Amino acid sequence: MWRRPILLVALTLAGLTASRAGGQMTFGDDTNTSANDGPPFFGFVRDADGAAVGDARVTATVKSGGAVVTTSNSIGVYKVAGFAKSINPDDIAISCAKDGYKQANVMRRPNGSGDMKDPIEVDCVLQKE
Amino acid sequence: MNRARCVVAAIALLFAYLQALPALGQTLTGTVSSAAERAMEGVLVSAQKVGSPITVTVVSDAQGRFQFPDGRLSSGNYALRIRATGYDLAGPKTVELGATPIDVVVKLAKTADLAAQLTNTEWLMSMPGTAEQKRPLMECMSCHTLQRIVHSTFNAEQFVPVLERMAGYANNTIQARVQMRVAPVKINTAIVAKLAAYLATINLSSGPVWNYQLKTLPRPKGRATHVVITEFDLPRQTIAPHDVRTDRNGNVWYSDFVENFLGELDPKTGTLKEYPIPVLKPGFPTGSLDLEPDAAGNLWLAMMFQAGLARFDMENKTFQVFPLDGAANDAAMQQSMVMPRSDDVDGKVWTNDVARHAIMRLDLKTGEYRRIDPFEFLPHGREHAPYGMAADARNNLYFMDFGDENIGRVDAETGATTIFPTPTPNSRPRRTMLDAQGRLWFAEFAADKLAMFDTKAETFKEWNVPTPYTYPYDVFCDRHGELWSAGMASDRVLRFDPQSGRSVEYLLPRPANIRRVFVDNSTDPVKFWAGNNHGAEILRLEPLD
Repeated sequence: MWRRPILLVALTLAGLTASRAGGQMTFGDDTNTSANDGPPFFGFVRDADGAAVGDARVTATVKSGGAVVTTSNSIGVYKVAGFAKSINPDDIAISCAKDGYKQANVMRRPNGSGDMKDPIEVDCVLQKE
Repeated sequence: MNRARCVVAAIALLFAYLQALPALGQTLTGTVSSAAERAMEGVLVSAQKVGSPITVTVVSDAQGRFQFPDGRLSSGNYALRIRATGYDLAGPKTVELGATPIDVVVKLAKTADLAAQLTNTEWLMSMPGTAEQKRPLMECMSCHTLQRIVHSTFNAEQFVPVLERMAGYANNTIQARVQMRVAPVKINTAIVAKLAAYLATINLSSGPVWNYQLKTLPRPKGRATHVVITEFDLPRQTIAPHDVRTDRNGNVWYSDFVENFLGELDPKTGTLKEYPIPVLKPGFPTGSLDLEPDAAGNLWLAMMFQAGLARFDMENKTFQVFPLDGAANDAAMQQSMVMPRSDDVDGKVWTNDVARHAIMRLDLKTGEYRRIDPFEFLPHGREHAPYGMAADARNNLYFMDFGDENIGRVDAETGATTIFPTPTPNSRPRRTMLDAQGRLWFAEFAADKLAMFDTKAETFKEWNVPTPYTYPYDVFCDRHGELWSAGMASDRVLRFDPQSGRSVEYLLPRPANIRRVFVDNSTDPVKFWAGNNHGAEILRLEPLD
């Protein structure tokens, strides 16, 4: 129950941290975040027994082309900062992989609030080969 | 009889050769001491022959002794200088090398101006403020040291127009030559005001001395003293060597960030040849940045605001340029990177469009550029900047997202992009190299880390650099698997073994603004090369172990 609020705080903080462009002096972070962002994705990678799987490679593939690849941490959590607002979240496919495992299931949790800015939780189950 | 004559002649020749040896290479040894410390370890002692562009530097050991290697110095009058933070050279300041070895007693005296000796790293260590407040200062070092800021007397209000003026400078600006951007620059006044307010708290606007303690890094010790450093002065202060690499003959090639030349230095003599690069856009800033060989061994240059790429034929010593045409070649157009290493695969060369944060691909047959937006599907609120590039054997591109925190891969056939965020947020990965094992080594400029991305396993490893505020610009993995890195802040070259975690930092003889680093793997031990972008010199560092 507690994991979702913690993740939301973490994702919010990550979104607030900005960066700058190369090639032109901007004297610091000059970034307008969130206005054009689609929702971030996060979730858990577990094995068939429900144990966390760390260091799993999680790929978020955009239907129209392109992908973001990240890694689950020691408690099996991954996050992807999000995509352009023009990308329909339903057109993002999450998959996971790790040596010695095969993907058994991917579960997309329903968005309870209906707010399209809410993070989308997609959990992944890996099965030992 | 004839045999006896031959033996006598051989002995005579050998004797003559041995007699001649001192004239070829003089021996200079000595000790360094001061009243405060007696024998001093870690003092850099430099000798430059009068009229020569070459300076050789060695470092004193735990007993305060130093020795220039045989054969590095010849007969003549030499100027001596030292580097030991907190001290100045009391004497001798010159030494005459003749036929016999010379042992000098070098005396140091406490400096009256410690502030003048601090590196950028030491200023950042010293000045108060949060990491967020100090973060913008890493940009300042592109054009000048932090000495310029901390010695200024501007208050916050006075700093604003200074910052706004500098925003109009091209990034290929050095103190010896300011170059103005042609395209108008958008300035975020709120950010400028915030930075101005902070800078006024760390300079001399409120009094004749700084209201914080000046902190310094320790002098080199032990392994960090086992090194010979050679500086090759370039003939004009407006030469800004950016990327440096050696060729099969041992000559050193560099891109000049400010003047429109490709440089070739003969390190045996210090002789310089300069090859003028065609000017494509008169009135725009000159100078080039990335210098990379193609599959045939010819050198390519990214032409920055001159907008395009240049290929230098190493046999004919001539340039072929590939200009950008059409509406995209506007006043803001800038190519900082070029990646031609696998151009033999498909006849394509990668480059970037800095102003639009895009990647471009040059078709060598048609001369046309194809644009790829690698961040099209990512949130549009974040700034990105494709920077350091590497190509694999299939000419797939790996690039650093210097504006943000990503490694990107662009498929050579489909153009599809895959983004790999670094484990450390806001890391701003800068320059990179791909080794034969498919490992992408890169510097995380803003995170003070060296990192490796395994392109096969698609996994990262990161290592903190030993000294905070180093801001590594680049990293090179040598044939032993050791990493070499440097940057614009610490005046040090980092050698790091990612297997053992053991590191050594070699202090350089002068303030150094280092960009691309290169290791010559053909020698044993390997040799490190870099340009001093603000110091008009080429640096060679030879570890003795």
